[in-house]
Amino acid sequence: MTGSPPVIVAENLTKEFRVAERGPGLLGALATLFTREHRIVRAVDGVSFEIPAGSRTAYIGANGAGKSTTIKMLTGIMTPTSGRCLVAGIEPYRERQRNARSIGVVFGQRSQLWWDLSVPDSFRILRRIYDIPEPVYRRNLRLYRELLDIDALGTTPVRQLSLGQRMRAEIAASLLHDPAVVFWDEPTIGLDMVLKEAVRVLVNRANQELGTTVVLTSHDIGDIAAICDSALVVDRGRVVHQGTIQDLLRTADRRSVTFDHRDPLPLPAACEEIERGLPGVRASEDDGGRIRVDYPVAAFTSRQVLAFLLDRFDLADCYAPEPDLEDVLRRVYERDATESASPDQPAAPVESGAA
Amino acid sequence: MTRTALRYLRLSLFLGGVGLHRLAAYRLDFVLGAGAFLVRVGIQTAVVGLVFRQVPAVGGWSYHEVLFLLGFSLLPRGLDHLFTDQLWELGRKLVQRGEFYRYLIRPVNPLFSLLSERFFHPDGLGELIVGAVLVFWAGSELGLDPTAAQWALAPLLVLCGALIHTAVKLFFASLSFWTVTSLPSMYAATQVSEFAAYPLDIYHSSLRALLTWVLPFAFTSYVPCVYLLTGDTGLLVWLPVVTAGAVLTALAVWRRGINRFDMTGS
Amino acid sequence: MSAVTRARRYLPFATGGLQSLLQYRSMFFVTGVTAAAGAAVTVFLWRAVYAGSPGAGPGGFTAAGITTYLLVAQVLQVLHANRVDDEVAAEVYRGDVAVMLVRPVSYPLVRFAACLPVVAANALLVGVPVLLLFSFLVPMTAPTAGNAALFALSTLLSVLIAFCVNLLTGMTGFLTTNTWGVRMLKQSVVAFFAGQLVPIALMPGPLAAVAMALPFRGMVDGPLTLLLGRYEGVAGALGVLAQQAGWAVALAALSAVLWRAATGRLEVLGG
Repeated sequence: MTGSPPVIVAENLTKEFRVAERGPGLLGALATLFTREHRIVRAVDGVSFEIPAGSRTAYIGANGAGKSTTIKMLTGIMTPTSGRCLVAGIEPYRERQRNARSIGVVFGQRSQLWWDLSVPDSFRILRRIYDIPEPVYRRNLRLYRELLDIDALGTTPVRQLSLGQRMRAEIAASLLHDPAVVFWDEPTIGLDMVLKEAVRVLVNRANQELGTTVVLTSHDIGDIAAICDSALVVDRGRVVHQGTIQDLLRTADRRSVTFDHRDPLPLPAACEEIERGLPGVRASEDDGGRIRVDYPVAAFTSRQVLAFLLDRFDLADCYAPEPDLEDVLRRVYERDATESASPDQPAAPVESGAA
Repeated sequence: MTRTALRYLRLSLFLGGVGLHRLAAYRLDFVLGAGAFLVRVGIQTAVVGLVFRQVPAVGGWSYHEVLFLLGFSLLPRGLDHLFTDQLWELGRKLVQRGEFYRYLIRPVNPLFSLLSERFFHPDGLGELIVGAVLVFWAGSELGLDPTAAQWALAPLLVLCGALIHTAVKLFFASLSFWTVTSLPSMYAATQVSEFAAYPLDIYHSSLRALLTWVLPFAFTSYVPCVYLLTGDTGLLVWLPVVTAGAVLTALAVWRRGINRFDMTGS
Repeated sequence: MSAVTRARRYLPFATGGLQSLLQYRSMFFVTGVTAAAGAAVTVFLWRAVYAGSPGAGPGGFTAAGITTYLLVAQVLQVLHANRVDDEVAAEVYRGDVAVMLVRPVSYPLVRFAACLPVVAANALLVGVPVLLLFSFLVPMTAPTAGNAALFALSTLLSVLIAFCVNLLTGMTGFLTTNTWGVRMLKQSVVAFFAGQLVPIALMPGPLAAVAMALPFRGMVDGPLTLLLGRYEGVAGALGVLAQQAGWAVALAALSAVLWRAATGRLEVLGG
């Protein structure tokens, strides 16, 4: 993805909200009859980044890092308080209708389909609204039939579909007009493994054949890992990581290795020996007579740890799994939380809580 | 320009077809809506009838003149109803639940996108039919003989009236961008529009002023009916000005509201 | 379990109802405008009728009497607009009632508890101001203390009847998605047959007989008959109250039976 021109550019993107203060309980509610105080909350604080065309990017940040708000500005739903953004060369909130043609959107919690119409009816309307050429429409429908089993949704009105069924339809709808960029905000597709795989295939096709750029926000690590090839981690305004998911994993501060323990030495004693020999390392019994060794990258290289283990134990079989993305992200989130709790920083914004 | 107009016309026809299709799927709902509406108009007519059991004229208007007015007031209301009922949803919940976003991510005008979700609302058809029946019946009872100018202007009067209704509705529905839900104020405005079904002459002067210049429902029925019944054009000349003013004000509020929308709801 | 403990369980629903109401403080203002506008239409229409008769006009009303009648009728209507119909309909439509069924409380009683503060707030914040406003604009008649007391009692019964009517209206949500149409239908029919638009005394014989027999009479015409002293002796007053009480009990029983049937169906269908 190096060398691709950016399809999305954010420059100092900032969004502030006025939030009404309300005391708790009945008295608080009564008080709002007479006064109403506001405070300003900065949900997105001077974010700048670029997303290359044709990438599949996970937009990552802690609760309240302003992910959804950023997506809303990129899709033209909201106007930034200051700064600006460009999507496929268009400032979305200034030219909503033109922008709408080049983007597709899924907001996981809020349907954009026609509530009391069936999915095929909704698609027919979308076809008219987006002026989708007949061959494109047919090709995409065929694809959805094949991958998402969209026919199974039949003539049921959207409001009667299950969440998983509705998500299928929402995702298909967001891709129906071959948009240059799709934004998926918390699409909650982590529900079903089969569906997740289908969505991955679908995205890959669009990505490879049409160069579609995908921007995803999700709390579901599975979704991120399944769909995205790169990650953009934003920490209160600053981009703290941008690159492949692998690069992100390399930022993990701990590694681990697990091996089958075959020595006569009892397991607890073996663990103790490792921890004594490598101070700062944590060794623990794992299932099935295994030992798991967790070591901080700052103190030991993998080479040092493995050399020590090879030297002391009969290392017939060992595993060194990739660092857990969830752990890496949790660390990002936690760091976010502790830092934004400091008094000179603006309070955590409200948008994620209300979503 | 013409291409855009043509595109929207085609879209309207298609979405109108979808609306009619939906009716077939929700037949009981349709019957209920239409039935409820007929009962409402029936009761309104009954109230007028009961009033005129007591006296021959009210505020200088005879029984059939009041029925003519009542019937005529349904025409612009019905026309408006036919196309803009989705505004109720805006006032009720679209902002509150953050669902309004979907009109901002489509490559068509957001207002069109919103309204087109419920084109051809059947209640509107009911109003138009009942209104026309009342107007023609009362007109023939009165021996009304309109001039060519009156015949020519009549559809325009209905259209302007419908635009005023739409403008007021759009104005109050758009308030929901600030107040999250504006259903109560929409109800209030609708309630005020009920005044238009009776002669303005019976009201307190402050109320007359309100209905003429603030919430200009007088221009949706009273003013046109005075013209059609007596040929008096006193207030009629203001009709285009008032219509344009109402529509432009409502559109301005709507636009400011859209730019305020933040999808968080409550 | 004592009745007090049982009643206490519904207290949070009552305060909760008030709380959610207060969140939309503009609502009171708007309800007031709606009520004032609604009252103005009927008041001015009927005052035009009574303009020609200086003493007692049609139906034995004076101009001030009919004005009082129509205004108080509108205020009663505000008390009856307890939003039970839309909330029940909405919860049935969304399937939220299923959640209620697993709680150790009765849903209709929950709704009743939640609507009481709404009624009280509407009376205080909408009814009184609207009456005051009109008392400056148009002459009205003052009731005797006895009639006012009878009216107060009768109003309580009318609130009960209105609750049941709205609950039944909301329950049509089990049958149709267009509860909007049903509510409009209910509103029109109730307003007419309660005597809110035309006092029943001014209706022609057969129509008046129908109106007198229906429960809606107890919502507006009943209380106002007592307020304006348009009854014959103590027996007459008691008759009005007895009819109201009878209807309140009958409608409550009907609601309970239908509610049980509807939720039974819900359980079978699995929500």
